[in-house]
Amino acid sequence: MTLDTYKKNYHKNKFQYLLTNHLAVILESDDTLFVLEQKTALDDVHPFFESLLSLFKTKGETYHFSCVNLIVKGKDVIVDISIHNQDGNKNLVVIEDLTNHYNNYQLTAQTRNDSVINSQILELKNKYLLEKEDFKNTFITNFSHQLRNPITSIATFCNIISDTNLSAEQKNYLHIISSANTDLKNRIDDVLDIAKINSGQLILTKDVFSLATFLDEIVYEYKSLAANKNLDFSAEIDTKLPEFIEGDKFRLKQIIDNLMSNAITFTTKGSVGFHISLNYIRANKISLHIEVTDTGIGINPSDYDLVFERFAKIESPIQNDENIGLGLAIVKHLISEMGGNISIESQKNIGTKITCNLSLSTIPRTYKEPKKTASPKTFNFARKQNVLLIDASELTQLSVLKTLALEGNFYLEIVSNIAALSEILLKQEFDIILLSNKLGNHSAEELIKKVLKTSRDYKDVPKLILTPEISSTEIKRLIRVPNTDYIKTPFDKNILLETIYEYLKK
Amino acid sequence: MIASKKIVLLGHFGVGKTSLIRRFVQDIFSKDYKVTIGVHISKKEVLISENKKVSLLLWDLEGHEDIKRTRPSYLLGTHGFIYVFDLSRPETYKALKTEIEHLKTHYKNVPIKVVGNKMDLVTKEHIKQNADVFDDFVDFFTSAKLGSRVELLFSKLAKELL
Repeated sequence: MTLDTYKKNYHKNKFQYLLTNHLAVILESDDTLFVLEQKTALDDVHPFFESLLSLFKTKGETYHFSCVNLIVKGKDVIVDISIHNQDGNKNLVVIEDLTNHYNNYQLTAQTRNDSVINSQILELKNKYLLEKEDFKNTFITNFSHQLRNPITSIATFCNIISDTNLSAEQKNYLHIISSANTDLKNRIDDVLDIAKINSGQLILTKDVFSLATFLDEIVYEYKSLAANKNLDFSAEIDTKLPEFIEGDKFRLKQIIDNLMSNAITFTTKGSVGFHISLNYIRANKISLHIEVTDTGIGINPSDYDLVFERFAKIESPIQNDENIGLGLAIVKHLISEMGGNISIESQKNIGTKITCNLSLSTIPRTYKEPKKTASPKTFNFARKQNVLLIDASELTQLSVLKTLALEGNFYLEIVSNIAALSEILLKQEFDIILLSNKLGNHSAEELIKKVLKTSRDYKDVPKLILTPEISSTEIKRLIRVPNTDYIKTPFDKNILLETIYEYLKK
Repeated sequence: MIASKKIVLLGHFGVGKTSLIRRFVQDIFSKDYKVTIGVHISKKEVLISENKKVSLLLWDLEGHEDIKRTRPSYLLGTHGFIYVFDLSRPETYKALKTEIEHLKTHYKNVPIKVVGNKMDLVTKEHIKQNADVFDDFVDFFTSAKLGSRVELLFSKLAKELL
């Protein structure tokens, strides 16, 4: 065979040439792709041509259309079409069949578009879920904060009543009210902590504290609680532990409290133990190893992971209504934030050992141990101190009023709205200002600005912010300013008094 | 003789241009998405008034995120545009203003209908929330799936073309 013969056998011509007049009527066609009879109007062949009739009347122009999907005489093709205006009102129409090429492109485009659309939909779903979560967290946070004022009041008045003449029965009732109030506060704190974890706002603080004193208090507290249940208590404290460390004391206490409370709650006979030792000190980090053991009801190995889940309450013969199932989820998160880990070893009806490792910091070289101060009560003021309380909550007003009144060292003025603030500041001088973290729409920062705007003399007057939230950016920024501090609400009357005395003696 | 009018459908991919045409021309809908590449052309005659018909030549173009990427030859001799976006995907209407202004600048006398499709996937609340985007530009909220306001969209545009 000659080369031409091979070409005829193997080469499939994919071009169709048509000659039309200016009305797009076919004069000639080579019928390579479709058989089109002479004198057929192209606009009858396909609406593509019908749309472009005007182009057949132009002169000296060439028009190119790529990737046109045509069905002609039952044949489905994807073609490039060009229309070339020729002399004498004629047009050359060239149709190139590129079906295979465009079908491949179609597959690629399909994959790409599917992927883009799916990722956009996922992003939207994610955004929706985040908004929902955000709304939930905000709601929980606001609602929990609303509950704090009445809790503070209950705690304050329980304290005040306890100092009055009460019968044994009344004291017992008061103890029940006070305990229930503490439980409620703890539960709200747990819910708030979970909301903070969810929104990434649970931030650990760094303060230097005495580890030795801290551990003494832990041992004292849980030795008593174990004794109340007739349980033996053992404590081992590594002598290599430094006296002072830097870290979030409150959160470390929260971790140990959760582990120890669970150990005591779920143990009816035998013992509970608390052991703490030093793993290592390296590059300003101090790694602690903590073990809490009990001879309680134990945990099934299949439930090990479950106990760290939120609202998880595994089946137990011991009723524990005080636990809402958030404690260990919070503990796990806190330990993780402290760069550590937690694990369980347990045998049903034999006991449980919970082990955790966590890191805190060694104290800065520049740190100096604070001098012990005398008890606040030993301060004698030459005159009664003027205290201004800026807070709209009547319960807080009453709690502060009763707490200060019993001391006999203070005059208290109360401002419930921003309008009255300037007036009272101009009228009277104050030795210390207590202010809410929010008054109407005004933040603590705005309230302080308002105070300073009235008189620069208040720059040196202590300003104590009553706030449930100490990890917010605003409060952190404010308390860096000299003479500005916070008192966490719901407050304990002793903490309130100690803080006030501490600032007044400066 | 019936007048023919070329209508071009534009917008991002996956917004339902092909579905709108299939609903209008064949009164069918498929939930399966098949990407349009290049251009598909369909034809449907519409009765404008008792004695008046118009033949709509519907150019269903491959979708692009940017209208400027459309092959210019496809737009030659266009009598009317339908710009379609997907009400359930903000990406498809975030540049709505720019896209419509581009069309109005380059095709001054060509009528444009702006269509928010997939009405069946969103709530009325969603439309209210986006009122600042939709109120100024959108002519129709349609659902090719349910067939709502599809016929009205094409017939209204057809009337404007005559």
